[in-house]
Amino acid sequence: MDYNPNPIIVNPGTTWTRRKTQKERHSLWLSEEGDDSIDADDNEVELIDGDEVFDLIRSISDPEHRSMTLEQLAVVSAPQITVSNQKNHVMVEFTPTVPHCGMSTVIGLSIRVRLLRSLPNRFKVDIKVKPGSHTSEHAVNKQLNDKERVAAALENNAITEVLETCLESAGRRGRPADI
Amino acid sequence: MGVDLPYKLSAIAELTGHEDRAWNVAWNPVKPLLATCSADKTVRLYGYSGIPTPTFSFHTSISTDHGKTVRSIAWSPSGETLATASFDSTIGIWQQKGAQDEDEEVTAGEWQCASLLEGHETECKSVAWSASGTLLASCSRDKTVWVWEVQPDCDFECLGVLMEHTQDVKSVAWHPSEEILASASYDDTIKLYLDDPSDDWFCFETLKGHTSTVWSLAWAPGGRYLASASDDCTVRIWKRVAEHQWECVCVLEGHERTIYSVSWGMTTTKRVSEEGGEPLGWLASAGGDGRINIWQLEEAPNSTVNSPPKYELISCIENGHGDSDINSIVWCPRAGYQDLLATVGDDGMAKVWKIEVA
Repeated sequence: MDYNPNPIIVNPGTTWTRRKTQKERHSLWLSEEGDDSIDADDNEVELIDGDEVFDLIRSISDPEHRSMTLEQLAVVSAPQITVSNQKNHVMVEFTPTVPHCGMSTVIGLSIRVRLLRSLPNRFKVDIKVKPGSHTSEHAVNKQLNDKERVAAALENNAITEVLETCLESAGRRGRPADI
Repeated sequence: MGVDLPYKLSAIAELTGHEDRAWNVAWNPVKPLLATCSADKTVRLYGYSGIPTPTFSFHTSISTDHGKTVRSIAWSPSGETLATASFDSTIGIWQQKGAQDEDEEVTAGEWQCASLLEGHETECKSVAWSASGTLLASCSRDKTVWVWEVQPDCDFECLGVLMEHTQDVKSVAWHPSEEILASASYDDTIKLYLDDPSDDWFCFETLKGHTSTVWSLAWAPGGRYLASASDDCTVRIWKRVAEHQWECVCVLEGHERTIYSVSWGMTTTKRVSEEGGEPLGWLASAGGDGRINIWQLEEAPNSTVNSPPKYELISCIENGHGDSDINSIVWCPRAGYQDLLATVGDDGMAKVWKIEVA
């Protein structure tokens, strides 16, 4: 079923940052090739900002339009990310392409899994749809921030297959696919 | 934090071994055994001995036959049987092979699945035994609560399927002496149920007040009060104002993220206030902010039927499991050990805390 057959595509930013290779990070799910997660030495707290969080999620593929990234569809953007290093808190707001988007939960889950795998453990992450951008805003937000629901979803093979497909491109961090 | 509070919490054991998030912890009510369960699908049992500060050691691990996360565990009042609730939508009933020693020593027999209860359509989230041990309740994301009757030879008969909640049911808890069941839900409500002797189990009250998911319930040891913990970052205290009526009488604040667990214990080291109200025990709460709060509650002097209890934060500790969420907190119910608390967290670890005068 198509939720939005003709999405608006935006030009992705022309700059991207590439962090120096970090040591492989233990992940509950899997370790990625050429792991590019944000991680610090064990005894050093590394400060991160919204641009870095954006870099981690900008190249996740849209579950409905697989050839496009969340950045290209303007689902995620740097100004919609708030980071507090002091409170160890990250808030990611995303904008579904249409208000009835049935894929919003999958998009939110893909952002959550990406950040679970990449951010230092000290960060608590909240994920919400942009206020007014979805007809079931409250229900989507509640589900995405209920960790028991998220944990159960990640034990469901059908869901994890979709998530893994969306996350395959996440490591590009804004670079075009052909690099 | 906590420098001015009258009690302090000291970690006396850190128990590792789970390979994934630990969800729930349960003290055996009779034997010196502590059980934990995890997303790694196993249950781990730890033994302990020594007074006043026991030492803990790994006893055994039950691999369980569950295909997914073991979300919660509950010991029967006899301490002989363990129930597991799993995301694979089944409830497991576990007993130890071989005879029990007379002197309450833990025997070495293997833990076996004595029964597997099927019926729920999706993830089971909680399981609880009634005070008499003759009834078992289970709940699930399928929005239902099931009441099972325990029959000889680990047979279980379903007495009722309660379809009152409009969303996932997160937790079930039996009244400490009467056959009253409480359930907490993602629909932000708590429901109370009774058995109609001439008919089926039915919901006789819905408690509304929380503004988000209710994750956990704890009855006061005397059964007059019920505590509930919520995603709205509050603990609410509900008081029995009539035979079949409870009302919210106070709201405890002191957490910054979801409260996943609340436990109501009756400690022996009671702190008597100047007014000397009837002690109602100690309430422990923990959740996504990693903080452990301990409140002392007592009946207010000159209390009326719906007057709130007096409450005071007596101890608090930050980052109980480092950066991790705390998923479960439980007071030890055994005589001589009622000043002990167990917690488990997303770090997969179980910790045991002792509360002492600061």
